[in-house]
Amino acid sequence: MACTSANVVKCHCQKKWSSVTMPAMAKIQFCFTFILFIAINCASVNVDNISSDVKFKNVDRTIDLSSQLVKISQKITLENSGKSPVKSFLVAVEASSKNNLAYIGAKDSSGKDLRVSETTVKGHDSAKFWRVDLKDALNAGSTVVVTSETVFTKALQPYPTAITQQEDQLVKYTGNLYVYSPYQVTSQKTNVVVVTKGIESFSKVKPFSQQDGAIQYGPYPNVAPFTEKELSVHYKNNSPFLTVTRIERLIEVSHWGNIAIEELIEVEHTGAKLKGPFSRYDYQQDLHSGPASVRSYKTLLPASASDVYYRDTNGNISTSNMKVKKDSVELDLRPRYPLFGGWKTHYTLGYNVPSYEYLYHSGNEYLLKMRVIDHIFDDMQVDELTTKIILPEGSVGIKLNVPYPVTRLADSLHYTYLDTKGRPVITFKKSNVVENHIQDFQLRYTFPRLLMFQEPLLVVGFLYALFLLVIIYVRLDFSIHKAEHQHKD
Amino acid sequence: MPATAVAKPENGRNKGIFHNTAGFSTLITVTVLSLAWLAGFASRLFAVIRFESIIHEFDPWFNYRSTAYMVQHGFYNFLNWFDERAWYPLGRIVGGTVYPGLMITSGTIHWILHALNIPIHIRDICVFLAPVFSGLTAIATYLLTSEIWSRGAGLFAACFIAIVPGYSSRSVAGSYDNEGIAIFALQFTYYLWLKSVKSGSIFWSICTALSYFYMVSAWGGYVFIINLIPLHVFVLLVMGRFSQRLFVSYTVFYIIGLLLSMQIPFVGFQPIRTSEHMAASGVFALLMAVGALKYLHSLNPKGQWKQLLIVGGFLAAVAVFLVVVLLTYMGVIAPWSGRFYSLWDTAYAKIHIPIIASVSEHQPTTWSSFFFDLHVLVCTFPVGLWYCIKNINDERVFVALYALSAVYFAGVMVRLMLTLTPVVCVLAGIAFSILLDLVLREDEMCPPPVESEESKSLYDKAGKLKKRPHETPNGASEAGLGMNVRSGTLIAFMILLMLFSVHCTWATSNAYSSPSIVLASYGNDGSRRILDDFREAYGWLSQNTAEDARIMSWWDYGYQIAGMGNRTTLVDNNTWNNSHIALVGKAMASNESAAYSIMTALDVDYVLVIFGGAIGYSGDDINKFIWMVRIAEGEHPKDIHEADYFTERGEYRVDSEASKTMLNCLMYKLSYYRYDSGGSPPGYDRTRGALPGNRGFKLTYLEEAYTTEHWLVRIYRVKKPDEFNRPRLPVAKRTISTTNSVSKKLAIGPGTTTSKRRKGLLKNKPTVVKGKKVARLE
Amino acid sequence: MTSLVSVIPKLYQEYTTKTPKKLKIIDAYLLYVFLTAVIQFVYCCLVGTFPFNSFLSGFISTVSSFVLGVCLRLQVNPENKQEFQGLSAERGFADFIFAHLVLHIVVVNFIG
Repeated sequence: MACTSANVVKCHCQKKWSSVTMPAMAKIQFCFTFILFIAINCASVNVDNISSDVKFKNVDRTIDLSSQLVKISQKITLENSGKSPVKSFLVAVEASSKNNLAYIGAKDSSGKDLRVSETTVKGHDSAKFWRVDLKDALNAGSTVVVTSETVFTKALQPYPTAITQQEDQLVKYTGNLYVYSPYQVTSQKTNVVVVTKGIESFSKVKPFSQQDGAIQYGPYPNVAPFTEKELSVHYKNNSPFLTVTRIERLIEVSHWGNIAIEELIEVEHTGAKLKGPFSRYDYQQDLHSGPASVRSYKTLLPASASDVYYRDTNGNISTSNMKVKKDSVELDLRPRYPLFGGWKTHYTLGYNVPSYEYLYHSGNEYLLKMRVIDHIFDDMQVDELTTKIILPEGSVGIKLNVPYPVTRLADSLHYTYLDTKGRPVITFKKSNVVENHIQDFQLRYTFPRLLMFQEPLLVVGFLYALFLLVIIYVRLDFSIHKAEHQHKD
Repeated sequence: MPATAVAKPENGRNKGIFHNTAGFSTLITVTVLSLAWLAGFASRLFAVIRFESIIHEFDPWFNYRSTAYMVQHGFYNFLNWFDERAWYPLGRIVGGTVYPGLMITSGTIHWILHALNIPIHIRDICVFLAPVFSGLTAIATYLLTSEIWSRGAGLFAACFIAIVPGYSSRSVAGSYDNEGIAIFALQFTYYLWLKSVKSGSIFWSICTALSYFYMVSAWGGYVFIINLIPLHVFVLLVMGRFSQRLFVSYTVFYIIGLLLSMQIPFVGFQPIRTSEHMAASGVFALLMAVGALKYLHSLNPKGQWKQLLIVGGFLAAVAVFLVVVLLTYMGVIAPWSGRFYSLWDTAYAKIHIPIIASVSEHQPTTWSSFFFDLHVLVCTFPVGLWYCIKNINDERVFVALYALSAVYFAGVMVRLMLTLTPVVCVLAGIAFSILLDLVLREDEMCPPPVESEESKSLYDKAGKLKKRPHETPNGASEAGLGMNVRSGTLIAFMILLMLFSVHCTWATSNAYSSPSIVLASYGNDGSRRILDDFREAYGWLSQNTAEDARIMSWWDYGYQIAGMGNRTTLVDNNTWNNSHIALVGKAMASNESAAYSIMTALDVDYVLVIFGGAIGYSGDDINKFIWMVRIAEGEHPKDIHEADYFTERGEYRVDSEASKTMLNCLMYKLSYYRYDSGGSPPGYDRTRGALPGNRGFKLTYLEEAYTTEHWLVRIYRVKKPDEFNRPRLPVAKRTISTTNSVSKKLAIGPGTTTSKRRKGLLKNKPTVVKGKKVARLE
Repeated sequence: MTSLVSVIPKLYQEYTTKTPKKLKIIDAYLLYVFLTAVIQFVYCCLVGTFPFNSFLSGFISTVSSFVLGVCLRLQVNPENKQEFQGLSAERGFADFIFAHLVLHIVVVNFIG
């Protein structure tokens, strides 16, 4: 995704159940969309309609602006005011911010994940919709609490766009004051968390209150569906604005007990650009100089990770520390140079993990369960992720199961030590990835165990052939000598 | 000779009781050689173990970069590669200005390994190429020495060359340079040459020519071969040792070698055009003449022919010499290049070519460095030489000539220590072999002869020992030495050899195993801190500057900027264009506004300087600055005067007593701009132990873009004309600046000084190419 | 000088009587190669050496053919048996062919 896009985010996820006392207008609309739904469903396009039975009784919304990401969580009290039970409801994202959306998820009151699938609604082509399937159908008249979580990347615009070395970074957030929802919202409150005291300006729509590092809006009663009103906050944000512009994650599975992981990472500081000179003197003088710059960050690796290396095309990057913790290995990575706004760096991070933790098998059937992407730094945002899985030579019947939609690329072959026909490589891609995407994929494949012996046999065979050759050569050498002697005589 | 002597009886005796002898001695030979290889390989890995698998220093970065280019784009694209990243406005035709042997070698290895599905990165191949080739050099040295003397001496020589610091200085892991493979090619060519002289076989001569071809493709030092072999032939002729074998081997070698050497684009037609190669053709003609006369003589062997032969030979020699002189005079054959002259007249470079003199490698060798690089060998090799001259034959004449010429060249230039090292190892191997023979032989003299043959299975030298009594009658006198003396000598020599190996390891580890792009400092508690400033800066350049940004720096860092930073440079370590370097030197030596006009004329975007003041790094630009001034003065005597940069008492200082020109020149300002850290008092320069004389100044035309953690590398951005404060400019300058902002091309036109300079460097270009081409000569 | 002139017919006589037929064939070949070289040289003197590498490769190939022929003649000559120990006539001829192989591959490459 282009990092230069100047999107103004209006994040607004509203969920609403139409009541029985549905306005006539909505009824007609409903009928219309319903017919359309039936018509289009045959063409297997996921189309939903806005049920007028559903209503959002109360929405508690928290907009977390403390990092480079915009994390919005909404605690929705859902009410079925219709007569028939409701099995699902819709969540919407307004047109202005839908391109920034990286992750959306929903949980019920007990913290269990709910199924969320993308859908469309006729007549609202510009917005984006997700259907949340409830675990149990919601009976008429009853309520349920659902928490939805959305993460937006690049929704904070540095303003001013360029700062000098000593200046603080100011960013501007533009969103929706109300919960953007296809349903009527009876009551709603919004809490904007910025953590810092340095708030330059913010939208003032009563009732509101400002405390240390937080602004409360609301409660606002009875907001109609799809209402938008600008909410903007301009504040100091010196948290690292680092974007991983590209990451290529390579997982190489060996049946000899090891899985090698290598990540090629390109990082860019996407905050306010550095204006004017960089002064080492100022930077060394006090530690608070260059507040918006990034000196180092922490990467968490699996606890069993070993043989970690951190290098770039010019060799090892010698400035890093590794701490082995109970449940993870913590790497304190320092790029070769501090990252100021607009500066880039790239590196390769690799490590090994034992395969018994991730690879399961019964007979010749294998199951690999690993993370699609691993932690790079807190509140990371990744523009483009490519994951490649290299399976042992001779693996067949490969089936990939991913937790969220990805673009699968064509399989290829990889040749490495002692390969004859190449190892199968499974590749898939995903753009706009955040921490919430750290989930496991499952890969099933069949590998005849006898093939394990192919490589040692190859070595043995080669050595055997070599010795044979030497023996033959020695004999041959001898015969030539004789022939020459005869000639001479 | 001894080798064949050994081989024959062994073959004959194969069915006898000593059936095992041949196998056993082969086993020992193979074991010793592979151990030598292993030891040589291992002792060169200090840098990899201490730091990492990385390319060292300066030139290797270019070699690595072009190898990577070749691997990526293929061989033909490499040969046609025009590198616009170097010598900025001019560019460089890489394919035609390098010895491609090194790149082809590692590219071939890479290709073979990848064909076998062994995915080794090209960088690792480049890093480990030189240590691997040191093993091959050991084998070649073994072969050469056993051709000259005996297999035992060969094993000694192989062990010596595997670890001797004089050679490992150029072939540690990561030092990916031509010399690494060239010494192997050199030794192997000499071995094949001796083999062909000995046998008179066309086959061996062709092999010599092919090996010579490899050498030509690898290193400019091939000139050494093409002069030494003719010299050998000539001396043999003078000594009256002409034989038809010599005729066959030399004529075939010369003509095929000539043809092969011209296949290298960089060498081109030099072998028939330059004086360096003329000796070979002269000897060729001479040999043909002598051969013809000999033949006529053989048809009618009568007295009158003898004189005719001598007279004819001399006439031919004189004629050839005159023709060469005439052609040189007429300009068909280029006279000797400057670098070649400096071999004869050590003061030549200092006066005429400051750029050659500025390189530390080109300084005359000191005695201590002889000892440091060769240790005990430097004392023992004359013994081997003495024995070789004493028991002279065709091959030993060669090795004597080799030793004498190499000693001379090594004395002239530190760098040529490299050519001396192999022959010293050969001769020292011979010396040690003889000495050990003397000490060990007497054990065999006393017991009956049967016993001595038994011992053959223990020492493979024993085979040739039996010949010794004929060759060294003085050995008999020493035979009377007592047991104690003998064992004492033996122990003394063993200790000497042990000391030698300890010294070798120490020298390789401490003196030659620093990558020089990664520095290490040790704290008081022994903890090691890595100063990675160079890579920090180059990494910054590669990621945070425009793709086509042009970096101005002193030429030492050109290859590294191109290799690690992947950015365009103005000048680099291939110092072919002196005037361009002088222009950069002038920019560095001028004051800021004068430098700015040069920099805008050259489209410079960034300026990179190395400043060691904060950490006490002595190889920084301020210390090299005086050479920049000298080189700049050579081309622009009107603008730059060396004396201006010294104090009135002729001292080179940077503190408040320094001259005004010095304190205001660009290099000074860029080094000390806002430098106030570095211990007490703030702003203290640790390298020069002084407080800079000009502090707290501001830069008008440049701004600090990046400075590394330890201040080692400082990068400045050249401001665009609309960025700096206009009123501070004089009116005349301002108009130029505005034209600059409209078009860079036009900017060259109006600025009269710059345009003149430009023309000058273009005009000089062709002549300088020839002169500087020998950048890698020997 | 006179002795020199008088010696030439003598030499010729010696040559025709003493030299084996095999060697004479080689000599004929050598003469042919030599003449080729002379023609090339004269041509280059008259016309010029414009494609310098072509001229060089042509000229050097004739020179080296000549040299190789001479070497073969030396090795095959039974009088030189002592000089070339361990080199049979067959070996000499095989070497000769090998050398030509190398030579002509290079020449073809060089001629452009």
